[in-house]
Amino acid sequence: MKRIKLIVILMILIIGIPSIVDAKLRVVVSYNYIADIVKKIGGEEVVVTPLSKGYKDPHYITPRPSFIAKMRKADLLIINGGQLEIGWIPPILKKANNPRINPGNKGFLDLFSFIEGIDIPKEISRAHGDVHPDGNPHFHLDPENILIVSKVIRDKLIDLNLSNKDIFTKRYKEFSEMWKKKIADWEMSLEKFSGKNVVQYHKNFDYFLKRFNLEQLGTLEPVPGIPPSTKHILEMIEIINNKGAEFIIHDVYHMKKPSRFVNRKTGVKLVVLPHDVGSVDEAIDIVSLFDEIVRRLLK
Amino acid sequence: MKIVSYLIIIAIIFILPLTTFGSDGGSSDPFSQTKFVPAISFIMDVSYLSRNLGNFEFTGFEMPGFIHAGHSNGHAHSGSLLNGENGFNLNYAELSLFATVDPYFDLFTAFHLGEDHFEVEEAYVTTRKLPHGFGLKIGKFLSAFGRINAQHAHTWNFQELPLVYRGFFGEEGLNEKGFQLNWVAPADFYLSLGFELFQGENSTSFGLEGMEIVNEDNGSEIEVEGAKGPGLFTVYAKTSVDIGDLIILGGVSYADGETRSIHETESGEHALSGRSRISGLDITMKYLIDSYRYISLQTEYIDRQFEGKFYEAGSSEGSEFSRSQSGFYSELVYRFSKLWRTALRYDLLNRNNVLINGTDSELPEDMKRYSFMIDYSPTEFSRIRLQYNNNRYLYLDGDLKNFSELNLQLNISIGAHGAHPF
Repeated sequence: MKRIKLIVILMILIIGIPSIVDAKLRVVVSYNYIADIVKKIGGEEVVVTPLSKGYKDPHYITPRPSFIAKMRKADLLIINGGQLEIGWIPPILKKANNPRINPGNKGFLDLFSFIEGIDIPKEISRAHGDVHPDGNPHFHLDPENILIVSKVIRDKLIDLNLSNKDIFTKRYKEFSEMWKKKIADWEMSLEKFSGKNVVQYHKNFDYFLKRFNLEQLGTLEPVPGIPPSTKHILEMIEIINNKGAEFIIHDVYHMKKPSRFVNRKTGVKLVVLPHDVGSVDEAIDIVSLFDEIVRRLLK
Repeated sequence: MKIVSYLIIIAIIFILPLTTFGSDGGSSDPFSQTKFVPAISFIMDVSYLSRNLGNFEFTGFEMPGFIHAGHSNGHAHSGSLLNGENGFNLNYAELSLFATVDPYFDLFTAFHLGEDHFEVEEAYVTTRKLPHGFGLKIGKFLSAFGRINAQHAHTWNFQELPLVYRGFFGEEGLNEKGFQLNWVAPADFYLSLGFELFQGENSTSFGLEGMEIVNEDNGSEIEVEGAKGPGLFTVYAKTSVDIGDLIILGGVSYADGETRSIHETESGEHALSGRSRISGLDITMKYLIDSYRYISLQTEYIDRQFEGKFYEAGSSEGSEFSRSQSGFYSELVYRFSKLWRTALRYDLLNRNNVLINGTDSELPEDMKRYSFMIDYSPTEFSRIRLQYNNNRYLYLDGDLKNFSELNLQLNISIGAHGAHPF
């Protein structure tokens, strides 16, 4: 027994020391776009670790045991919210034994709670598929919402790391000014599509479409999270043929077969749009993510 | 007087609805507690089974050295096993309630419901505030021993526990009252260490109760002394690394506890008293192909050592008894689309040395099972599974009885969203 004790103590020392030496604010985030905003504001003063990869379906992230290790040491956990992480964050958060980042504590930040959700379902039933009771969770594709959450993130970083208040404030100011200019650019570029119809595979880009005045005809998924049926596809083709559409919008992770089929039958342009930083090679940060979406639509 | 009671009843019937459903659905009630309803989930598991063996034979057979024949010792009858009966089975329903208690505790409960029984499968609190990566779990819960033990039936890749689990821990795994202290290392990779102290009542490997064996011929009695609880502890270590999209998770576990068990056989009662030491080694490798598809290989090897006494009705004192047994399973799962999975499993009990007073009982050493399954999950809340088992582990009077099973299973959950298992 004595030997076991000694080994345990030794291990605690070996494993524990590096984390004491490294005194930067450790931020763990669920998705890459959040990581990039934290980097833009926190800069060198924070260490940010995204859990998922940009090219994965954000609804179905595999809860890896390594996420527990990452959460164990975090000072702050930032999630997208809106129940997008409901299937994978709760069990690892529980196992991480880190009271700092438990919901209700200072080190937990749910971005969706600061956003005005759209598509809030009137009727909550899983007969309507993968419903999100508080509204569509993919809010970050409205660039105006990026302004809101980057401010929330600035405030949280200041709250946890007061000594760097000035630098966080300065970086946020630079970022938000640049971002407002970018929004004006994107609005100008996309103006020609204003009022045009689009079809999506999944309800991913609703916030984006709303911001840039694109009209939605529907989705190829009959209800969220349920793969398209032949019947529903044929109905969508008929709707597109009657009303006309500018784009079929598809994401990087779902199978493209149904969208390609509709593209062939209707001749409507199929565009694969990145939804997160890292989902395509061009989307290296939050700015280039939106640049790339706009570029692909204009192409 | 009767009229008065009727009037009261009528008054209650008419007034009660008015008080509970106020002008806007109860929200006007200043003492309303509805916002504090815990998360609730309900899971149902039904199956249709075809087994080329009658129900009576199935439970009448034994796994020598591991599980005694079901209907001779009076407990398990086929209806209480998963997929016990030929034809339709309601395997279980599981009701879970969970919520944060206060700033210090979370509570989780799982009630296991059979057609005619209600069982507290798990009821425990976990701590929310312990510092330095420590966590405490108190109540009744599935031990963190091994890989599959802590998982609930609906997350298993097959319809039943591996043979080695059934042989060492029984149908429900190692599920005990006690506490668990666990610690997550502040490392760059996952490392978790844990210690559990349990009452130790698992009837397959452990147990505390003393017993009396009576020889009906001459009325002589042997008394076997019980043990005081808590009688069982476990320790474990789990670690994991990622190599890109390949996730490797490994664990070592050890359980050590008092053993007291009594069985009634055709030759009369016999009892065991001593100590069992169970060690486990598990490894899981999962390769993520994309967001939906993966291949995973999961293997566990478990070893049991028992030292103690064996008591038989008729003999005046106990015999020296030891057993040294081991087994493993290996399962390969391929999720080949968002909705479909298929899997193969090989189960083997490879060692079964049972010595009574130094003499080998020469029990069979090659009990095994081959399983194949394919399942379809239209959503995360429903799953239809077809499974085939080729079984070579049951014996009757020392003879191996091969049999096959084909099973169609429907597993449904409603309510709170469950977690995606790793």
